[in-house]
Amino acid sequence: MSLGTSLSIGVQALNAESGALQATNNNIANSNTPGYSRQTVLLDEGTPTDNGGISEGSGVVLEGFQSVRDELIQNQIQSETQAQSSANAQTASLQQIQPTFTTSTQDIGTQMSALFTSLSSLSADPTNSTNRQAVLTAGQNLATAFNATSSVLTTQQLSLNAKVTQDVSKINSLTQEIAALSPQLAELKSSGQDGGTLQDQQNQLVLQLSALTNVSVTRTEGADTLTTGNGTPLVVGSESQGLQTTTAANGMVQVLDSNGANVTSALSGGDLGGTVEMRDQTIPSLLNHLDTLANQFGTAFNAVQSSGTDGYGNAGSQFFSIPAVTAGSAAAISVSMTDPTEIAASTDGSTGGNGNMASFSALQTVALPSGQSPTSTYANLVDQVGSLTANASAESGATTASLLQLNDQFSSVSGVSIDQESTNLITYQTAYEAAARVVTTIQALFQVTLAMGTASAE
Amino acid sequence: MRVANMVPDMQYAMQQSQQALSTALQQVSTSLRVNQLSDDPSASAIMVTSLAESANVDQYTKNISSLQSKMQTADASLNSVVTSLNSAITLGTSGATGTVNSENKAAIATQVQSILSAVVGQANTEYQGVYVFGGSESTTPPFVQASTTYTSAQGSSTVPLAMTTPLTPNSTTTISDASTGETMSFHAAAGDTIANLETAINTAVTAGTLSPGTSATIDASGNLSINSSGGVVVTTNATTLGVMTASLSTMVANAYAYVGNSTVDSVQIGESTSVKTNLPGNQVFTSGANVIGSLNGLISALQSGSSTQIGGATTAITTALNYVSEQRVPLDSTISQLSSQESYLGQETITLTSQQTALVGINIAEAATNLSQAELTNSAVLAAAAKVLPQTLLDYLK
Repeated sequence: MSLGTSLSIGVQALNAESGALQATNNNIANSNTPGYSRQTVLLDEGTPTDNGGISEGSGVVLEGFQSVRDELIQNQIQSETQAQSSANAQTASLQQIQPTFTTSTQDIGTQMSALFTSLSSLSADPTNSTNRQAVLTAGQNLATAFNATSSVLTTQQLSLNAKVTQDVSKINSLTQEIAALSPQLAELKSSGQDGGTLQDQQNQLVLQLSALTNVSVTRTEGADTLTTGNGTPLVVGSESQGLQTTTAANGMVQVLDSNGANVTSALSGGDLGGTVEMRDQTIPSLLNHLDTLANQFGTAFNAVQSSGTDGYGNAGSQFFSIPAVTAGSAAAISVSMTDPTEIAASTDGSTGGNGNMASFSALQTVALPSGQSPTSTYANLVDQVGSLTANASAESGATTASLLQLNDQFSSVSGVSIDQESTNLITYQTAYEAAARVVTTIQALFQVTLAMGTASAE
Repeated sequence: MRVANMVPDMQYAMQQSQQALSTALQQVSTSLRVNQLSDDPSASAIMVTSLAESANVDQYTKNISSLQSKMQTADASLNSVVTSLNSAITLGTSGATGTVNSENKAAIATQVQSILSAVVGQANTEYQGVYVFGGSESTTPPFVQASTTYTSAQGSSTVPLAMTTPLTPNSTTTISDASTGETMSFHAAAGDTIANLETAINTAVTAGTLSPGTSATIDASGNLSINSSGGVVVTTNATTLGVMTASLSTMVANAYAYVGNSTVDSVQIGESTSVKTNLPGNQVFTSGANVIGSLNGLISALQSGSSTQIGGATTAITTALNYVSEQRVPLDSTISQLSSQESYLGQETITLTSQQTALVGINIAEAATNLSQAELTNSAVLAAAAKVLPQTLLDYLK
């Protein structure tokens, strides 16, 4: 092997170790960058040369850099992220709803109980005008509790409605960014190179998209395709097919795909999926139960009232004003009676008669048309709200723990270990120093060789 | 497994231990295990019904307290009536002896009249504005001195009422008879006239509800006049008649008509327990062995009757006395029931409170132990984080 060849190998080694140091440097620099996959340097032996029948090594070749990543873990993280975001959205919403149903001086259960105790008190002393007024006040308080609870639910629904628009806007922004990366990424891949930083950026954007909705990625050499869980395309190659919104007659924002088809009910997962589920299913179901309770209780109370005789000797008039239809009853229920003497305590119109009070008291335990007593119906509603919140919260906790595990796995494969990079730094530094020493040595050998002809003359 | 970064795991562990610490702290500070519905949805739902039961129990207890006073007032009145009747029997017995002259009998009659007034006073006993023996018509005195003539106010000599004068539709005219102890009510339908009322009165006379001779006529001043020799009390809300008032000087001495009703109210004092809370005055004082009637009879016998008649009237009072004593039995039984139910409800309150504590509360010792454990865990996590996280290879490279 000639000195020239050796010098060339030394220079290649310097280049290779310099490249390795660059990879280490980049890894350390990005050790805290979200979504960054650590890079390794690709070194290869040089092709050996034949020197008179002797095969000689020709040094090292810097082939490039490779990001270390596991697509499967990446997909699992995306999937778990959408589940977590959906659960978080529901938990946050339900945690704002549940205090309304928690036992307090203002909740429906307490006010309903207060109405029955006021009726019991009136039963013991029907001539007492204070007792009559107390029934009227308790009825008003119960109606107010229904109104307030309904208002909390509808306000929450409107707040979620606004969030749908915000989420769609974020989704469109992300899909545009992903689409913009696509041509460069496709070019890299088509040339057989690793996606590297661009792939990391795309993965990170897809992860952010997963936090908003259930998204599925189909990777091809030419271009990646992103669709929602139900197949609605979001990104096809370099083209972003943004979602649109429109407001339905009921004021609820509907999500349309790029062709204008309504995909709202098909959305699932992510913040948008969780938000839509709360807005379109959970809250309407709770409102329906609440409306049914308000309507049936008000109707049953009015029926007892009309079967009795008021303090003026007339048949009992309507106590609660309730809409003819169930929908909106909780929001609209009110006490239409203003004169406490009109409470139909008796059955004979006598001043001290309480013949109708037993029927009023029985309302507390007699089943409504929905099948259970008012108190049990409300208790079921409380159980339902509590269970929904507990389940959403548990789901949120479980996905958080699961994501931690997945991120640990991701980190295990792709994460930057400072300790590892530090050792690499020492390794590459040593190798670089050694290669430099080789170059210096060969340089010295050149000097010696060049001086061979002049040494005796001196 | 290759470990690149321990920070996320440590952060998660710290978050979990701090969450546990926060929960333990909340449990200690509130003494509650369930601070929001999601902590235990099922317990929260049971709490709704349990709290409603508690509120009911509290109200039943208040009802009992109020009813006890009312019932005891009624019982005390009947006790006074018993005492009065015993005095009347003593007086009647002495009046029945053949040696008592007519002057002494008149004096005794006067004493019995005082007793009758006292008994009527007791029959009109009021408790917090409620006449306890008025049935459910409890805001007006149930026993009113009867008159032979009641006249309306709406007619006049220029515009007299007539038998064809229509009565106000849906109005009610009530005639309470002191002699029979019964009441007749006439509810006017649309198109009914005074003639219909008169027919109803005649029917009631035939049925024995009203005394023989009770009649309805239009008097010289053009008003409706209800007449009864034994004495009646008439009320109406027919505006075409106006207020019915007793004509001057027609009150019948010692005759009282019952203007209450027979309604017996019930009040719930437990989940499935109710008590009758009043004793209608007609049941106690004018029906069965008629208390007021028997006293009236003794007065009449003392004023003009023979010893035998006085003796008979005295025996009638004895019967009335026994009757009143019988009437007190259910009353006393109710008072006793109220008392035992009050004790039961007291126990029920304790049971419900225990149930509620078990549902959502937490034993303070358990809460303190939980807090201590949570503190320990959190300290351990923080100590581990402080020890592990700063360590890198760089610390050892010179």
